[in-house]
Amino acid sequence: MALVVDARGEQCPIPVVKATKALAGITAPEVLEVHVDNETAVQNLLRMAAGRKLQAKSEKLGERDLLVTVHVDGAAQVPAAAEEPAACPGDLRGDTVVAVGTSHMGSGSDELGAILMKGFLYALSQQEELPRTVLFYNGGARLTTEGSASLEDLKTMETQGVEILTCGTCLDFYGIKDKLQVGGVTNMYAIVEKLTRARKVIRP
Amino acid sequence: MREKTLRTVAAFHTTTDAMAAEARCLRCGVPGRLIPLPPVISAGCGLCWSAPREERDRVVAAIEAAGVTPAGIYEMLL
Repeated sequence: MALVVDARGEQCPIPVVKATKALAGITAPEVLEVHVDNETAVQNLLRMAAGRKLQAKSEKLGERDLLVTVHVDGAAQVPAAAEEPAACPGDLRGDTVVAVGTSHMGSGSDELGAILMKGFLYALSQQEELPRTVLFYNGGARLTTEGSASLEDLKTMETQGVEILTCGTCLDFYGIKDKLQVGGVTNMYAIVEKLTRARKVIRP
Repeated sequence: MREKTLRTVAAFHTTTDAMAAEARCLRCGVPGRLIPLPPVISAGCGLCWSAPREERDRVVAAIEAAGVTPAGIYEMLL
């Protein structure tokens, strides 16, 4: 009979906290089953188990039902909470700001540059560690507005906690203020603050 | 990370081929998009058309209609 923890509907780091509490009560060989509903929680639980040198595996039972099974040989090692922080989505964002000042990447051919920028934003959205903020200004403002081929990628990043900000002055200058499709509008003070506080700034 | 799904991936020999194929696919309403070539594929120019797995035939037809010979057609989790 397995010990079951249902952490569906719980946001990070609650699933790991619940699993850790359950593990703390285990004193004999046991199987712990943790049900969660998102991939981040699965990864956090597998990392937590690996940190304790416990065998664990995950499987998808349904659209919103992911099962992580942890095999405990005996009394589970329980490090203090501070030693084992759960990596929540916000933690996957480094202190990096991406500053996009044009709708094209590089100079030479605008047609090629547009394809490269589209590819850059796609590849950015696929990274393990996402940037904290992506800023769009001047011609880059077109990338967050209606008709941009990068909206899907930007929305994907936004749902993962990345801050998407577009310069309001720029939207106004190009007459596309009402066409913004993703993220928020910002101003130069905020842009300067984001850039100066960033550990790393990337300009594609 | 978003959930990965099986995709049909068409690689191209040249960037010009990729642009021509993209234009054709968009014009014909072929699902998918031009993306950077996944690192596991070494063929081609660095760009590929990524579409849902079941759209393989339409993708191949559109690419050929654009007068382009793909550098390879793959199926992978993206």
